[in-house]
Amino acid sequence: MKKYKKYVVAAALLIISFGYIFISNETGVARIFVNLLTFAGIYGLAAIGINVHFGWTGLLNFGHAAFMGIGAYTTILLIPHALGREGVVVENGLPLPLAVILGMLAAALLGLLLGLPTLRLRGDYLAIVTIAAAEIFRLLIRDFEDITGGVYGVIQFSDSLQNMRPNFITNLATSIDVSSSQLWVGIITWTLIICVLIILSRLQKSPWGRALRAVREDEDAVRALGKNAVWLKLQSFMLGASIGGLSGILLAFNYGTLQSSTFVPVLTFYIWAALILGGVGSLGGPALGAVIFWVIISGTDSLAEFFFDNANGQQLAGVRFVFVGILIMFTMIFTPSGILGKKEELLLEIK
Amino acid sequence: MIEQLGNGLLLGLIVAIASVSLSLLYGVTRIVNFAHGEIIALGAVLALFFSSSPSSNFLYLDRYSPLGSSFIVSSIVSIFLCGIFGAILELCLFRPLRRYNYGNVAVLVITIGLSIFLRHIYLLFASARPASYPLDLQKRQDYFGVQLTPRNVQVLIIGSLVMILVGLFLSYTKTGKAMRAVRDSSELASVSGINSDYIITLTWIFSSMLAGFTGIIQGVINNVRWNMGFLILLLIFAGSILGGIGTSFGAMFGGFIIGMLVQLSVGLSFMDGHTEAKNAIALALMIIILLIRPQGIFGSKERIS
Repeated sequence: MKKYKKYVVAAALLIISFGYIFISNETGVARIFVNLLTFAGIYGLAAIGINVHFGWTGLLNFGHAAFMGIGAYTTILLIPHALGREGVVVENGLPLPLAVILGMLAAALLGLLLGLPTLRLRGDYLAIVTIAAAEIFRLLIRDFEDITGGVYGVIQFSDSLQNMRPNFITNLATSIDVSSSQLWVGIITWTLIICVLIILSRLQKSPWGRALRAVREDEDAVRALGKNAVWLKLQSFMLGASIGGLSGILLAFNYGTLQSSTFVPVLTFYIWAALILGGVGSLGGPALGAVIFWVIISGTDSLAEFFFDNANGQQLAGVRFVFVGILIMFTMIFTPSGILGKKEELLLEIK
Repeated sequence: MIEQLGNGLLLGLIVAIASVSLSLLYGVTRIVNFAHGEIIALGAVLALFFSSSPSSNFLYLDRYSPLGSSFIVSSIVSIFLCGIFGAILELCLFRPLRRYNYGNVAVLVITIGLSIFLRHIYLLFASARPASYPLDLQKRQDYFGVQLTPRNVQVLIIGSLVMILVGLFLSYTKTGKAMRAVRDSSELASVSGINSDYIITLTWIFSSMLAGFTGIIQGVINNVRWNMGFLILLLIFAGSILGGIGTSFGAMFGGFIIGMLVQLSVGLSFMDGHTEAKNAIALALMIIILLIRPQGIFGSKERIS
């Protein structure tokens, strides 16, 4: 019975969350649901990437925004788009699936580049280096306007994805009065999450997955058994990075525009909050955590209205992030294994 | 490049002092404190709160300027309040965490949560626009070929004095020696009769006061922003790692180099039109240092294993 307790908790939390949305919004519930679940799915996918790093291998990656960013920029710049202040239209491009694969490869390559010098060091150094690398990446994207569009960003690239939308999705979207393009992104996101989770669950049970967990538990033992621990860590880093890249691509398609300001360090912290809430090390935990996280976040907006009359965007963001901070602290202090995680699967001591 | 020398000296000083405070805290408590930048910002915001006229729109609160808008008095009060804040953090958050044996990854994540929390508290109480202290504007003059305002020179002198005092404190006073002893080995320190909980609390107070001081001089030289702590935090990490995290004089040196480098790189020809990328250079240097000498210039090898 005890084994199922956490699933009961998870189900109860989900029912309460969705119930809250139904009660607090009289109109446009479907629209809010699609918006929330799409964002939650994208953040959940990114959190699954960090989970491969932290939950499986014990690597502290605080620069996930860079992996998401490089995936998004590589893919979007390879498909037809319009760039920068003048909106220079680039009509030719690769087919979308190929571009997505290249984007994920680019993220994995960045993981390799970052991992090579740092994975030999202790965990907290990796945290600092990844957060610094993410800032370098964002500053470069912002400054080199000729290639990336700088602060003006990239626009008009959604057609590559939206042209693939089957008719019944469009009809469904009109019948329940939601944005058909967002519904399509949401459906793709959750399909991809299921695919990624199936692949990961097989990997986790494979000898390779067990070796990764052994690296987390005792690196020296892994070395003594003749495995190359650094190479195993690098592989895990690249795998998680490419999942992050995929979620970055989806994030760009969900926004419909691509800007450097999307990939600020705070994005990484959001994803960490979702991961810790859902449960580090568990398979479905990150996705569940992301859904509950987004419900809490949307709940803070009404709280901001309570504290401030006619709260402006800045106050809304302030209240929102104050809660993200509290959420991260309290989850880590009181239930470090989150909703679905196992305590014995959690690495809390840097070796 | 030479016209940036004055700014380079100032930023070098700021990053140097902040790096010492971060590095000392890390050495004694083993906490990688991501909330350190927010303590820096706390000093700056408090000093502004006490000193600025009620008409300034940085803070939404109605103020009565209890300290008669004297900037010096406000600064000193703010620095002491930062120390008290550090003590509160230690007593109410980090000491219980230590008691219950929270791992250092858990503590690291908690400091990240704390940093996000504090930073947005500042945003809620202050506007997103940068603000300045009520000090008169001054023109830059020529000091031995370096362009600085008279106030910048005052800041440089006071900052250097503080650094020397910190060095003397750590080297010669009993408390300073005890801090270094706990840093090198807390077990050995306990055996020799040092109360490590007491020393850790003192370190929190000392480090937070230094951080608050850094925030105020940063606010004097540039301006006060709600997110100034996070902007400077990465530079501080870079400085500490360059000099050797956990060291005091190494961190001072590393921080100074990083600050100088960031400002001087603005004058390089290939940086034209890429002013934002100057921080990227410091961070890239940090990664290179980690690659070739991970313990930093002055660090000892056993610290990083």
